[in-house]
Amino acid sequence: MGDKKIEFGSYKEMPMCAMSVDDMLWNHTGSWRNVRPYYDPKTSPCRTGCPAGEDIQRYIFLVTEKHYKEGWETIMRSNPMPSVTGRVCFHPCMDKCTRGDYDQAVNIPAIERALGDMAFENYDWIVKTKASKKQKVAVVGGGPAGLSCAYYAAKLGYAVTIFEKEKALGGVLRWGIPEYRLPNDVLDKAVKVILDSGEIDVKTEQAIGRDFSLEDLKKKYDAVFIGIGLSRSRSLGIDGENMEGVEAGLEFLKSINSGKKVSQGKEVVVIGGGNTAMDVARTARRIGSNVTVVYRRTMNEMPAIRDEIEEAEREGVRFRFLATPASIARGKGGKLSVVFQEMQLGEPDESGRRRPVPVEGKTFTMDVDKLFTAIGEEAVLDGLDSVEQEWSLIKAASRFGDTNIDGVFAGGDVVTGAASVVEAVAAGRAAAEKIDRYFDGKEDPAPEEVRTVGFKDMNTAYFTHAKRNEVPRISPEEALSSFDEIYRGFDMALLHREADRCFSCGVCNYCDNCWIFCPDVAISRGENEYEINYDYCKGCLVCVTECPRSVISTREEGK
Amino acid sequence: MKPARIPEEEYMTSGHVACQGCGATQAMRFALKALGPKTALVIPACCWSVIDGPFPHSSLRVPLFHTAFEAAASTASGLKAGLEMRGDTETTVMAWAGDGGTFDIGIQSLSGAAERNEDIIYTCYDNEAYMNTGIQRSSSTPVGAWTTTTPVAHYKKRPKKKIIDIMAAHSIPYIATASVAFPEDFIRKFKKAKEIKGTRFIHVFAPCPTGWKLPPELSVAMARQAVTSKVFPLLEVTEHGKRWKVWKDFEPTPVRDYIKAQGRFRHLKDEEIKAIEEEVENNWQLLLAREQMSMNLPGLNKEDDDS
Repeated sequence: MGDKKIEFGSYKEMPMCAMSVDDMLWNHTGSWRNVRPYYDPKTSPCRTGCPAGEDIQRYIFLVTEKHYKEGWETIMRSNPMPSVTGRVCFHPCMDKCTRGDYDQAVNIPAIERALGDMAFENYDWIVKTKASKKQKVAVVGGGPAGLSCAYYAAKLGYAVTIFEKEKALGGVLRWGIPEYRLPNDVLDKAVKVILDSGEIDVKTEQAIGRDFSLEDLKKKYDAVFIGIGLSRSRSLGIDGENMEGVEAGLEFLKSINSGKKVSQGKEVVVIGGGNTAMDVARTARRIGSNVTVVYRRTMNEMPAIRDEIEEAEREGVRFRFLATPASIARGKGGKLSVVFQEMQLGEPDESGRRRPVPVEGKTFTMDVDKLFTAIGEEAVLDGLDSVEQEWSLIKAASRFGDTNIDGVFAGGDVVTGAASVVEAVAAGRAAAEKIDRYFDGKEDPAPEEVRTVGFKDMNTAYFTHAKRNEVPRISPEEALSSFDEIYRGFDMALLHREADRCFSCGVCNYCDNCWIFCPDVAISRGENEYEINYDYCKGCLVCVTECPRSVISTREEGK
Repeated sequence: MKPARIPEEEYMTSGHVACQGCGATQAMRFALKALGPKTALVIPACCWSVIDGPFPHSSLRVPLFHTAFEAAASTASGLKAGLEMRGDTETTVMAWAGDGGTFDIGIQSLSGAAERNEDIIYTCYDNEAYMNTGIQRSSSTPVGAWTTTTPVAHYKKRPKKKIIDIMAAHSIPYIATASVAFPEDFIRKFKKAKEIKGTRFIHVFAPCPTGWKLPPELSVAMARQAVTSKVFPLLEVTEHGKRWKVWKDFEPTPVRDYIKAQGRFRHLKDEEIKAIEEEVENNWQLLLAREQMSMNLPGLNKEDDDS
């Protein structure tokens, strides 16, 4: 029917009365078109914003479709520890979320965390990949970078051995992050998921430069990944620093996290403005101290995650800005008498933050029982003299973590300096993929061209304002009385309510608008996609306008 | 793929000859999705008498009777009577006319059919002028608009005729407005109309990119803005003209944006736009007052049945 126009030769061929006998499909209205619409998925800004490049839109979409396992698998392709990052990440994805320009950004970490935790209850999701390749990979350091590298190398079919200096895996996640943010049992489960996903052997209490050398590893393994992070606290470099009562914040956190009883007196001062300072301050509050954080710049310049600063304030941590310790002496009653130099903000430095400069002659003194330093950490590079270094960090030759030594790779904080868990995870995966290419002699891939959509590309007529669903939490009073996890995660109802808020920017989520509004019935609804029939599409571009998420692009015909 | 938001069956095919972005074709497609294959159409002179295609072709998969400009309602009445005489009580007969054939030329036969409460659906797909013959003003053309018979120097000074008020005055069982920008609501109303006996009148807002001097890709957006700016409220009148129900659950948009997007209003000065804004607001308030009044009438159900 319909592929040919009926032409009557004479009136005898006509029907008895003027009635239609055929359809109009012979009329290929596609010839009217001068602009062609075509499906052209783009990248959501959350994904561009995620250092690990998690396909956030996709896993949230899969949640809305109740395909939780596929959602979890989607995260695991770029990040093997969603339960961890869902709790501790600084979530740059959320800062980029299009919905932030509309009402409030989607609570992405809460969704990530929910999927990560779901795997613990659905252990059949975890598939152990056999070591199908002959090469062996050594990973030095069992923190986020090392665990990530081990996971992806194992998934690529290599047998992996992790060498960890401490008694248990986790690195900074275990020793540096307090339990109220990341409970040890969650970390244990997250580590177990990684170890159960491939042939990964673990050797604990094995430190490079102490128990073995890089050369030992080079002999036994075909590739070595170094992800030992930053394990030593920076010193203040002032008088009295070695006095009893002055302690590295990181050591304090480690003692608490490994269950040791620590007493540190009533009045505590913490020096620094990063996440470690916040963790130390809030941990000290939990064991009954009055805590003051002293930072040499102002709150705006603090490198700590904003939420952590707010939590610290809520828990009664006091802040004293624009001051830095100048000297420490033994004061009355055995207390520490700390003299602080007052500061002011000067010209911006290379980080773009305004540099603190001393205010001539203005000082003040605080009498405290304990002073914790949390002004940053540095790498301990024992046994790594042969690896090229820069600024007391390992120098990587490319973004994939290769070093000056053939077969030796590095990633995470030991390369970048203090960064984040998710960046370490990304570096671990990049190195694992690089190791795979190194064995096969393959070229590095060219950087992908990413087209990210933004708020201006959305048709907001199809969205309704809805507040972000926050993760349930215990009260600040309850939080202060124990090390219980503060945030309790989404139940299924909250998970779905929040997932439904996602705009699915740049990626089709089968809303049907293009199919519904096509005036020419030229769009068909297939099994998993829509298709435009260019025989009939007149190029009105209603589909382009009515697509809420900018999935359909156009190009001029004949070009 | 999720389940489709609207029925998947198609009773309108590609290959029709409507302009790019035509709202009237979307309207027909949605209406037939709601009414199904047991539907017979009566179409007077209007865009759709052309859109459908030249003899002996039709882009619709239901029977269609072409009739004279003034005769849509009377022809539909006759068709329904004829079907009933042959024992077919099942087929829905729908007159499908433009605003010219409804507001102007066909209003006598429409009024007659409605007064007799003929068992037909009468749909006016309103593109606010005689578009098919070259954009001449109708009594549905809004105040301020350019048409070829109301050129810029003498743009239309009289407001759009209130067809819903006229139809409500006929005390027919069901009256509704629908917009192609709200397909689920559109289809719900046609399905509801199908189940009611007697004359049902549905006023469909169908943008005409050609006649409105509008980029075709904005046709649905304009239909949507007509609703959200209260220029074309979505409503239902039931209980034989007495119960008025207005849809209010939307985020309002400015009338000005709706006017500014369309070339047919380009000549309007700021104070003229302001006057239109006031008129829209007044009509909206009158509508709400009427809805409120209808809630307090004795003997009527307070709650509507389904929406």
